Amino acid sequence: MSKRLLQSGLTTLAATLLLAATLPVAAQQPAAAASPSLDLKSLRLFDKPQDIWPTYNGDYSGQRFATLTEVNQKTIARLKTKWAYKIDGVTIRGSGNPTIKSTPLMVDGVLYFTVPDHVFAVDARTGKERWRFDFEDHGGHVLGQRGVGMYGKWIYFLTPDGWFISLDSGTGKERWRKKVADEKLQYFTTMAALIVKNHVIIGVGGDAMDVRGYLESRDPETGELQWHWSTAPLKMGDPGSETWPTQAAMDHGGGMTWMPGTYDPELNLLYWGTGNTNPVYAGQGRKGANLYTDAIVALNPDTGRMVWYFQGSPHDTHDWDNVETPILFDITLDGKKRKLLAQAARCGYFFVLDRETGKYLVSRPFTDTTANWSLGIDQRGQPIPNPDKDPKVDGSMVNVPGNGATNWPAPSYSPKTQLFYVNASEGYTVGYLYDTSPDPQGYAGGASGHFDAKSVLVAVDVKTGKAAWRHVAKGEGAEGGSMAGGILTTAGDLLFTGDSNRLAAFDPATGKILWSQKLNTPLTNGPSTWTIDGKQNVIVGAGDTLYALTLDGK
Amino acid sequence: MDSHTALGLGRLPDAEAAKRGEPIYNQNCLACHGEAGRGGIGPNLVRSVIVLHDEDDSEIAQVIRSGRPQAGMPPFKQLTDAQVHDVAEYLHQLVELAANRGLYKGAETMTSGDPEKGKAFFAANCAKCHSVTGDLAGIGAKYAQPSAMLSRIAWPAPKPPRAATVTTADGKQLKGTLAHYDDFETTLTLPDGSTQTWPTDSIKIEIPDPIAGHRALLPKYSDDDLHNITRYLLTIK
Repeated sequence: MSKRLLQSGLTTLAATLLLAATLPVAAQQPAAAASPSLDLKSLRLFDKPQDIWPTYNGDYSGQRFATLTEVNQKTIARLKTKWAYKIDGVTIRGSGNPTIKSTPLMVDGVLYFTVPDHVFAVDARTGKERWRFDFEDHGGHVLGQRGVGMYGKWIYFLTPDGWFISLDSGTGKERWRKKVADEKLQYFTTMAALIVKNHVIIGVGGDAMDVRGYLESRDPETGELQWHWSTAPLKMGDPGSETWPTQAAMDHGGGMTWMPGTYDPELNLLYWGTGNTNPVYAGQGRKGANLYTDAIVALNPDTGRMVWYFQGSPHDTHDWDNVETPILFDITLDGKKRKLLAQAARCGYFFVLDRETGKYLVSRPFTDTTANWSLGIDQRGQPIPNPDKDPKVDGSMVNVPGNGATNWPAPSYSPKTQLFYVNASEGYTVGYLYDTSPDPQGYAGGASGHFDAKSVLVAVDVKTGKAAWRHVAKGEGAEGGSMAGGILTTAGDLLFTGDSNRLAAFDPATGKILWSQKLNTPLTNGPSTWTIDGKQNVIVGAGDTLYALTLDGK
Repeated sequence: MDSHTALGLGRLPDAEAAKRGEPIYNQNCLACHGEAGRGGIGPNLVRSVIVLHDEDDSEIAQVIRSGRPQAGMPPFKQLTDAQVHDVAEYLHQLVELAANRGLYKGAETMTSGDPEKGKAFFAANCAKCHSVTGDLAGIGAKYAQPSAMLSRIAWPAPKPPRAATVTTADGKQLKGTLAHYDDFETTLTLPDGSTQTWPTDSIKIEIPDPIAGHRALLPKYSDDDLHNITRYLLTIK
């Protein structure tokens, strides 16, 4: 059998042989009486049940706002570590110690979280390991793994080399695996699958070799493909193809789908961010806006058909993946109830859109920057790229940092304050173009330096896009000061996030620090919270350790 | 971090074989597949699924030997096995150079900018603190790579730790360097090497800003300014 057959995973024979050859061993522990099982009715737009955390963002809105109040401004002083689980025996290829970037699901008293190639099931009461699933990849990037999806008693996991794997939630035993991305073409898969009705929605990463971004829906029982949505139009003449010069540019145009999206069950629309255009830093071979890369797209989850789009970074030449969580919220504006969506984008803009139509209400920079890579906004509210600020052979300085004004760590929205919270980065970076050929390939350039760096927690007023308050972390670089990880807000009037090497609680109304606790490393995931036995737990990951905190540590 | 390993790029191409393969490629393949495999009347080979999938060169070899008659590619039977191997390694090397951004290198010389304009910019904006015959003598040799020089001009952050003066709640003043400084805790290293730590909100802290002038210039530079001043300082050898 040729290696290509194996890698393509197209034949049953190949898949079966591969399965037999590399089947990983889940720890052989006796299963609990019944495998934990997620009631799909618990997956809601807002107001999820308090005793579970059933999907990456907790609910479909992406708000990461919890209605729990036991831990509040009056009781926060008593919040203490109840248990800590440290990952043992895992080394990440090329980088060493594992880093928890996933948000653990919690269902029926069991937590499920990941690092690349590994899934852990841990007892939510004790922090004791129930089982772990160890996978050996054959390539792909190992930058991160955002967690698992759950449907009934089945767990869904994606590996660096594009395997989509279903596990039994009670035992960690593998049910099946499907190849969903080709790591030889430099695709990789890191995201937490999103479950919508009988669809498992999975996206891909990969921008080293100029491939097409896509999003897929798979059958939760069989893993078979239900639909496949390609980020760029399939052929010249299709809507959007007018924003590309050639078929080849579209075929190699990128637009990866590497972060979980959000979903409105009433409108039956899936909201997904698409990543940077390829080649990453060189735009000369792909003149035009390059739809639908660097966009928020609204898709029908039953068909994969696109209903509207909004492009956050047209003709991107700065690696500004537009994949940051598109948070859904309802608000009354001018006496009318509105269904809206907000995103703090990596390119430095804050967007508020009508989530039925995609029409914009707000589009402006959310950090202390003019976003000099743009010349303002067009009629749709989309930034207009400034060609003078494309990366140059001798450098072009932009006033948004190379890693973006923000990145993948989760933002939060509190319906109590009507503020959108995001950990942001400020400063200057110089973009360089390395490949000056008419048809560049790969990254083809780079971003260098982060001058006058500031790390800021920003509370953005969703009605205006202006900062209601800003907290600039004291200290710089080796001194240890910096915001870290994602954000959680609660009805206890608390905002949890990482600040330096601590978990900190802020007053969401004012930005005042109310409480903090040291961790072994800075926070590396998005905090989450739920109750078990009636007690509120706050869960955070920092480096290789997962912490559960409760009042008095009980 | 080894970028090749972390990026999961598979087997490393044989650099020696690739070097031998380049002229063989240029003589036999370039006319159709373009310079450095970027494509011409024949397909791009750097993004070729066959090349990306072929771990042991066998599939590339088969295409070279048999050609692609339907697509108009003749067989290249005159190439020896060794030559075919070298061409295949050259193709893998081209993939490595495109995909492994850890290997990317910036330009060694700068062509943008005008040193005379840079000199004028220096006189107007920099000469208050700096002199090309004093503190900056020989800077063009020290930062000979243009991007390194540009970074140095834009943001010459001194090596940590930063100096600081702490005023404690009872009015005592201590001078030292910052071993740790965040929203919660401040640790000062004193001249005798000992350290003292306070809750950050219990003290007043003054941190001199030796690059305040550079900070103030950041929002003002055009790219032309940066290129001009870089070109100028590159001449100060």
